[in-house]
Amino acid sequence: MHIPDGYLSPSTCAVLYGAAAPFWYVALKRVKKLLHTRLVPLISVFGAFSFVVMMFNLPLPGGTTGHAVGMGIAAIVLGPWAAILSVSIALLIQAIFFGDGGITAIGANCFNMGIVGSLVAYAVYRLIGIKAELSSKRRVFAAGLAGYAGINAAALLAAIEFGIQPLLFRDASGTPLYAPYPLSISIPAMMLGHLTFAGLAELVITAGVVSYLQRADPGLLKFSAPDAPPTDECAQRYAGQTPWPTMRKLWLGLAAMLVLTPLGILAVGSAWGEWTAQDFADASARQQIAAASGNQLPPVHPPQGLERLSSVWTAPIARYAPSFIRSASFGYFVSAATGVGLIIVVCLLVRWLFKRQPEEGLITSSRRSRRFVERTVEGLLGAVERSIYAEQTARGRGFLQELDPRVKLCGLLGLIVAVAAVHRIWTLLALFAVSLILALTSRISIPALMTRVWIGVLAFTGMIALPAVFLTPGEAIYRLPLLHWPVTVQGLSSATFLLLRAEIASTLSILLILCTPWVQVLKSLRFFRVPVVCVVLLGMTYRYIFLLIQTAHDMFEARRARLVGTLHGPERRRLAAGSAGVLLGRSFQLTNEVHLAMQARGYRGDVHVMDDRNMRRSDWIRLSALLGVAILALWAGR
Amino acid sequence: MKENPHASHLAFEVRDITYRYDQVTALKGLSMTVKKGERVALVGANGSGKSTLLRILAGLYFPQSGDVFFDGQPLSAVDLDEEQFSFRFRRRVGLIFQNPDVQLFNPSVFDEVAFGPLQLNWPKDQIRQRVLETLELMEIAHLRDRPPHRLSGGEKKRVALASVLILDPEVLLLDEPSAALDPKSQAQMVDFLVSWSGGTKTVITATHDLDTLEDIADRCYVFESGSIAAEGTPIEILHDVGLLERARLVRVQHHVHDHGAMHPHPHLHR
Repeated sequence: MHIPDGYLSPSTCAVLYGAAAPFWYVALKRVKKLLHTRLVPLISVFGAFSFVVMMFNLPLPGGTTGHAVGMGIAAIVLGPWAAILSVSIALLIQAIFFGDGGITAIGANCFNMGIVGSLVAYAVYRLIGIKAELSSKRRVFAAGLAGYAGINAAALLAAIEFGIQPLLFRDASGTPLYAPYPLSISIPAMMLGHLTFAGLAELVITAGVVSYLQRADPGLLKFSAPDAPPTDECAQRYAGQTPWPTMRKLWLGLAAMLVLTPLGILAVGSAWGEWTAQDFADASARQQIAAASGNQLPPVHPPQGLERLSSVWTAPIARYAPSFIRSASFGYFVSAATGVGLIIVVCLLVRWLFKRQPEEGLITSSRRSRRFVERTVEGLLGAVERSIYAEQTARGRGFLQELDPRVKLCGLLGLIVAVAAVHRIWTLLALFAVSLILALTSRISIPALMTRVWIGVLAFTGMIALPAVFLTPGEAIYRLPLLHWPVTVQGLSSATFLLLRAEIASTLSILLILCTPWVQVLKSLRFFRVPVVCVVLLGMTYRYIFLLIQTAHDMFEARRARLVGTLHGPERRRLAAGSAGVLLGRSFQLTNEVHLAMQARGYRGDVHVMDDRNMRRSDWIRLSALLGVAILALWAGR
Repeated sequence: MKENPHASHLAFEVRDITYRYDQVTALKGLSMTVKKGERVALVGANGSGKSTLLRILAGLYFPQSGDVFFDGQPLSAVDLDEEQFSFRFRRRVGLIFQNPDVQLFNPSVFDEVAFGPLQLNWPKDQIRQRVLETLELMEIAHLRDRPPHRLSGGEKKRVALASVLILDPEVLLLDEPSAALDPKSQAQMVDFLVSWSGGTKTVITATHDLDTLEDIADRCYVFESGSIAAEGTPIEILHDVGLLERARLVRVQHHVHDHGAMHPHPHLHR
């Protein structure tokens, strides 16, 4: 559910940054007040925890695995505000360091998963677990449901964000410029996966960890359960919490936003997005529309904003969609299934061409009960390996490596924004050329880029873009033999847009990652007036990610060594949730220790950091050159 | 620094303190003193309360009953809330944690060493220079920009030391300084401590490692489940095998002889 660059228009991204900002602000204020001096280590270590938990492969019923986001457990242990910060920080690091999720879409991803996800999960947990004892089964149930509701709320929001793109952003020929599917497709497509696998993974991990904590460390559950009947144990860790009444205002705000952002969600007909702006001006189209909407003529000019989207009318879907498809979402799945097969074949082929060494038969030969452990261990090691690789290339010599980190950050961000904003394919191709030149002059090997970035993006985005070729309404230029699916001009260019944008933006962000040591990224953030506390949070989270990865890795290795025979589904799930629980307990311990260590060196709640040297003139010149390219692209690609 | 009217010849004085965690009592009516310039070892098995005492001396924990004085001044939560006192105290007393991963929370070695002085509001140019000097002194200048999670155990310990020594503290509190170090790094650590203190600095070391006791301490306190079982010079302590056994610092091996008799055989790891 990490929205990549290029799927959302820059204005949508800006709006979501705007929507997230007040929540971040309030969260920071509230958490500071609650925990004053412990804020930094607490948020950091839990951010790291959330990051590492996202790497756990959870065995799900039916033999599949999935991974959770961890917003449910974060909200239950930390309360919604600290959870917002922790999950947001983890998402930020995933985007700017691991290239998971777009840089322009950080606001959107934080809003969906960090903010709405955490708040919904917390509300559900409090509501269902109301007045239940800390050790009751009802709390476990509430936790599972909280995780499930949280991740699905986040997925629904993401689907809505995708779905409004083709309504709002098309070029003159009706080609969708960003995510190509209307709400009628995007919502079922997103929700199908999340109501099942991802939701289940979140449910398993949240319920499992809560049930583990009830036995091992019930103190950690107290924060979000002020209404639980008191036990004889120690005094409350955080005394005197009444989070609910003070939160009401923001809840109302959130509710209003949920209604307003998707605007016409109530009006979702099967034909959403099947019309274009020109329909409003074209006489015959107006007649058609009128006929389909109870003989009411639509306004002559496309109405603005809410009006436009809520002017309900349902055109017969057959007007545009391939004739074999009665329902657009069904069509999506049929063509997606075909597309997936095709893409997988292409990827395997390319991978085979570029493979340097044969892979170990570890996974295929091992027993099924071990597979999820293996995969988690591999994922954890993969993250470490990537960080080492990035550190090595960042210390090498090359054009980007020698740029001042602030110039790099600013310049590459400018280019990424340009990639997200241009409306012409040839401009995108020019930007792709620019990113290739940057890679070559920085001695980043193209095969490495290919295996690390392009194939992955192709697999993911290609799967999404392919059905658009057939599903986007417009002028048919070709029909598939036998199936008679029409390939439309608009569909083709829309799919190309999506693929190109995603590829170029990920290439640029991976260049930033591979050519800039993390410390310098942090330093340059200070230059852009990012508050000290955020920079420190990021730095510390990143640092503890590796400690927790090490811990998790050791834990799984130990389990692997002791695993004899086959574990059954529920046992495997218990094992995974138990590991997450142990990790959570360690994280909390670590938080306390780190806080003490900080205090011992004079930390009193406000962190001070070193701000480094000023920009030289040559730096400014290079920065203007990079931004010049971005602006040129924006102008040329209007 | 302001003249301290209470200045005493004692660095620390601890009077009858009790410290309880949620359920466990870690220290029970413990009293001790440490003179300025003295090197003291707190010896005891795991969980005997050494670490807790170090944290109390570092002004991180506060005992539920009893008093702690630093240089003749009482040390309490209220006192340490006062900014100027806190700054002066943190400057003069440094604590090295047992687990360097806890102590190294900054994104790079440079930032790690600069953290303390930055919190104490030193001028930034001075900090930059002092950091470089300290890194040179600890022979870790080449690690300057490395992230702490990519350092070896020995390197981590050195960075942790540098991050405290940059403040030039008068009192150094060390929690198991040689834990998890290879023999060579251990020896280097001990050499460093011996040369650094030079008779003017106070060093309080918590350890269960009897090998290095004579090198790092002039006087020892032996801990046994939260209170002090004995006090003396390292030689005196090391010769009292019964005491060491009670404090679970040595293992008594029982030999079974051919004729069936069994006798205990104290076993010193030295």
